[in-house]
Amino acid sequence: MMKKILRIFRKDATIARRDSMLIYIIAIPILLAVGIVFFAPGVTDSASTIALLESDTADHIEYMEDYVQVEIVDSMEELERRINKRDDVVGVVPIDQGYEIIIEGNEDEAYYETVKAMSAFYKIGATRENTTAEILDFGKTVPPLKTTLANALILMVIMLAGMIIALGIVEEKSDKTIKAMNVTPISQNTFIIGKGMLGGVVAMGSIIISLLIMGYNDINWLMLILIGLTSMILTFIVGFLQGLASKDVIEAAGGVKLIMLPIAAAIAAYEILADKWQWTMYWNPFYWAYRANDLILSKTADWGIVLISAALVTILSIAVYLIAIPKIRKGLS
Amino acid sequence: MIKVENLYHSYNNNEKFQAKNVSFEIKEGEVFGFLGPSGAGKSTVQNILTGLLPLQKGKVTVDGYDLKQVHNKRFNRIGVSFEQSNIYSKLTALENLKYYADLFDVPTRDPEELLKLVGLEGKGNDRAGSFSKGMKHRLTFARSMINNPKIWFLDEPTTGLDPAIAATIKDIIRSEKAKGTTSFLTTHNMYIADELCDRVAFIIDGEIKLIDTPKNLKQQYGEKLVEIEYVKEGEIYKETLKTVDDSDKEKIANIIKSYEIKTMHSKEATLEEIFIQVTGRGLI
Repeated sequence: MMKKILRIFRKDATIARRDSMLIYIIAIPILLAVGIVFFAPGVTDSASTIALLESDTADHIEYMEDYVQVEIVDSMEELERRINKRDDVVGVVPIDQGYEIIIEGNEDEAYYETVKAMSAFYKIGATRENTTAEILDFGKTVPPLKTTLANALILMVIMLAGMIIALGIVEEKSDKTIKAMNVTPISQNTFIIGKGMLGGVVAMGSIIISLLIMGYNDINWLMLILIGLTSMILTFIVGFLQGLASKDVIEAAGGVKLIMLPIAAAIAAYEILADKWQWTMYWNPFYWAYRANDLILSKTADWGIVLISAALVTILSIAVYLIAIPKIRKGLS
Repeated sequence: MIKVENLYHSYNNNEKFQAKNVSFEIKEGEVFGFLGPSGAGKSTVQNILTGLLPLQKGKVTVDGYDLKQVHNKRFNRIGVSFEQSNIYSKLTALENLKYYADLFDVPTRDPEELLKLVGLEGKGNDRAGSFSKGMKHRLTFARSMINNPKIWFLDEPTTGLDPAIAATIKDIIRSEKAKGTTSFLTTHNMYIADELCDRVAFIIDGEIKLIDTPKNLKQQYGEKLVEIEYVKEGEIYKETLKTVDDSDKEKIANIIKSYEIKTMHSKEATLEEIFIQVTGRGLI
């Protein structure tokens, strides 16, 4: 069975290499990852960054560098430009009696209050050595914006896997080759797995390359692959259903995009909804996938939570599969 | 090799049957023709035999397998040549054949040899999408032989092909028959049925009206006449005479003996004429 699954995969890969649309689908997430790194400043940096003037005292600059990431700018105009970029950077400039904190206005209040306190500590000469406070670390070493973007990118790639499957099925339909497949010894299950494999391999490859581009070298890849594979079950089902229902490539691609709705709902709910309303998304496999990915990407996940998330994603997806499979089988007959 | 008993099939699962009480048996090595006009039920029966349609009512065994159950392994001994070509347009001819060869669990034929056999030699590395309709049809036909089938389903195998290529295809069918392959040939072309089939079945409105050998049918339904054209005293004469009537037989002998014969044809009925006579309907 495995030999035949791989044979179907190899055939689909050959066809995909000759289809420009599939090449675009493969390239999109990688280009997005590159775009995020190059065009969204600060995404890959620490969230705690302050901008100081080059004319500031060496002692103040050195003091601040001990606690936060410091960016030195050569003029007030340059400092304002830096603050106005989309990430949270707070400016600290010397005035007569001390220091002035300059903010864009939309920064996290806790952050600029911290910078304010640091300026006060500097003024009274407080240092690490003479403080008695203990540091409690939640272990979040990855910037939250970076995690959100990377996580959304993963789910988008998973949706694209469904699109690859839908396009493959439309191709089989237009060439009328499903009928020919039905008079060979391969079973429908072998065919379904074989057809799904290209989407799975391409999606996992794209996810890994995109995350490496974004600088996620040291996350737990096994955890990520497990969540990735389980969350693909639902997109596979949608890909098959849409491919079988569509007359052409455009219709199939448009139909698969509908899966963006539960994906967007999952992201919005997890990021925006209060804890007491999180349960409203428990039905959505992408919610559990997004939640698990968030922990994996911020390097705070443990196997217990990942396995529970993977199990929930699988159970919810299998429920959809059981509803959809008679329609898929009929379509492939 | 194939046994069909009281087969019924309705696409809408109602009493409007596209196949009604169809029964026949095909022996090993036989070429069996299924003859009927479009919509007669030929494809319905063939699709049930090849497993493309589920068996609703009746008993069907193909190569010893009861079609009530699903047996994917049985396709290792079955080949199907579809009327409409169905090949991967983005793959080359060779890639198409190699892909299908890898799906079977039995020794397969050399794809290059098959391409040569159907006149596609030198086209192996061309994408199937660039082929003409006839070339695609030949590639579909070649693919149906990839697994050395013992039972071969042929749906309109020469439709749309030029006479030379059609003759090649007919030769291939004859040579496969010589090897002992059992063939189920679905067609509305009475000439190919007459040339290739050991027996034919006439099907109309889902019902088999008659099954027999082409020879028997012609003897049974054909008029025993001879049409003679001869020259007598510089003039051309034409007469149609009965070969079973004594006086006509004498007259034939006299014409042959006394005059220059221009043409002489026996007037046996064609399968199409017999079909119309039996069913009251044409083959188109």
